[in-house]
Amino acid sequence: MREPLVRPRDRIIAGVCAGLAAHLGWPVKLTRIIMAVLVLGAGSGFILYAWLWIMVPTQEEQEKKEQVQASPRSIAENYARQLREGTAPRPGPRKAGRREVAVGLALLLVAAAFIAQRLGADLNWGLIVPVAAIAGGAVLAWTQLDESRRAGLMNSAGADRTSGLIRLAAGLVLVVSGVLAVISGAVSWDLLISGLLASAAVLAGVALVFTPWAVKHWRDLEAERSGRIRQTERAEIAAHLHDSVLQTLALIQKRAGSEQDVVRLARAQERELRQWLYTDHARAEDHLVECLRRIAAEIEDAYGHPIELVAVSDAELDERTEALASATRAAVLNAAQHAGGTVSVYVECRPEQLEVFVRDRGSGFDLDTVPPDRIGVRGSIIGRMQRAGGSAAIRSTADGTEVQLVLPLPKGPENGSSEPGGAAGSTADGRAAKKNHQSHVSSNGAQP
Amino acid sequence: MTIHPSPPVDVVVVDDHAIFRSGLRADLDARINVVAEADSVETAVAVITARRPAVVLLDVHLPGGNGGGGAEVLAGCAGLLGVTRFLALSVSDAAEDVVTVIRAGARGYVTKTISGPEISDAVLRVAGGDAVFSPRLAGFVLDAFGTASVAAVDDELDRLSARELEVMRLIARGYSYKEVARELFISVKTVETHVSSVLRKLQLSSRHELTRWAADRRLL
Repeated sequence: MREPLVRPRDRIIAGVCAGLAAHLGWPVKLTRIIMAVLVLGAGSGFILYAWLWIMVPTQEEQEKKEQVQASPRSIAENYARQLREGTAPRPGPRKAGRREVAVGLALLLVAAAFIAQRLGADLNWGLIVPVAAIAGGAVLAWTQLDESRRAGLMNSAGADRTSGLIRLAAGLVLVVSGVLAVISGAVSWDLLISGLLASAAVLAGVALVFTPWAVKHWRDLEAERSGRIRQTERAEIAAHLHDSVLQTLALIQKRAGSEQDVVRLARAQERELRQWLYTDHARAEDHLVECLRRIAAEIEDAYGHPIELVAVSDAELDERTEALASATRAAVLNAAQHAGGTVSVYVECRPEQLEVFVRDRGSGFDLDTVPPDRIGVRGSIIGRMQRAGGSAAIRSTADGTEVQLVLPLPKGPENGSSEPGGAAGSTADGRAAKKNHQSHVSSNGAQP
Repeated sequence: MTIHPSPPVDVVVVDDHAIFRSGLRADLDARINVVAEADSVETAVAVITARRPAVVLLDVHLPGGNGGGGAEVLAGCAGLLGVTRFLALSVSDAAEDVVTVIRAGARGYVTKTISGPEISDAVLRVAGGDAVFSPRLAGFVLDAFGTASVAAVDDELDRLSARELEVMRLIARGYSYKEVARELFISVKTVETHVSSVLRKLQLSSRHELTRWAADRRLL
């Protein structure tokens, strides 16, 4: 399949040759040589190049367009991806020195021309210099157009804009002086100056007349732009509601007979919508609370019992906190399976320790009567916590069962994220945990 | 729960959804008498000022007014706060919604998924002058005030006592007031006192950490 005709990220001037080569399946060098030869043919290569430059989109523009055209189903994802790309650093700079190589080549060309003249060739400098100036100016200005387009013409940062404007002005000066030089070959200076004054006056008059229009059009453009942004946001919200809420409502209508199904669906939808609306997007995915939230959601979906998660501050996930999360999962699962009703999960993250309480309101069970082959509680909760250097205590009464999981954190950095050396303390902690477990220490008295 | 003597508690229900209002009315038991309903900030302020109920069940998100929702109703009824007590109701448990109405003067906060008997109990508790904390609200309090009882803070308003911390932690763990009382070997009345005192601190404290916590969550 043929590559689409776009100008790639990796450009020397504007990426026309590279894009063309990729599109046609030709070697890039060959394309460049052909283009250069065409330039010699009365400048037709130059015109072709300029035309392709204007007409062919850059890769970035093309990608943006594709994202917008993507199916509405994934608009939210696209949006998220765009956000990510917007903040992520640009992919590595173009290959070092290629632009410099181009400049060097141009200088070499100039030098060759000088030498040729020394050797007696008759070069028309009066034509070559202005044309070169015009070409250089145009290249400078158009490069600017490309880059400013990429950065968004209006909202680029101040420094970028200033340098862009300087480049644009430099390009303009080059072009104008080139044109003047070409004309001055044919016309006398007196005539040229008076002609310049006249054309400046005409230009000023035209500008006076057209400025209000220009301003008005610019405003319209701006209004349309912001309108489009709002519309995109609306489309995103609509797509989300369609995919989630409306689907669920339809399902609920179909299953209206089964109370449990309706409750489960409503609950899952509520949670999903709530997360979409309120979750702090800055909150990192790899944190304990987010992980527990996922676990709670999963178990809630599977068993249909509401799970209330209350969290006080957060901790980073590492090997040990992951063990804590797995133990929590086992405890919540146990509660959802055997007790039913609402399960309360409370997570408290402090610099010196992490604590999780899982409470249900079932009839309770006695750990000592649980047959030894039932590894559920013993292995997946107590054993896991001990291996991670923490402890677990289970308290069961007629009003329900509460599992307390404690994971001490090594002293040190403020946020208490665990270090690899944490294993050293695990034997002592393990013993403490065992003791804790045997004596069924009252779970609220665990804090010093 | 505590049985309150007979005259039913007068309640005004403020919520912009008629379905929810009627559902709530049906859920409330005989100890509670719904005297009026309102569906926007303006009607709520007018109705509450006219009827002076014991308790207002107040939705956090309400149309009308200046867009301030439940907190604006509380501000509009500021003169009544001694007579009428407000219990905030919300589908949202976002910190900004919850803490804003509490700071505006609500005596408690419950989510709309609460069961019928529970909400009736909560109304009676608020009518009796106590505070109603959901586990979520207790979590916010612990988050805002910090989980260690700091003795170095000068202003008593700015920290929770060790006992208050214990109570908050148990509530966050899903304990009812009765269970908290049993757990700490104190009476339910004492638990209520602690909770009310935490509520007062939450409403009045200008503690640096609380302000920063709120600012982090764009509450201020």
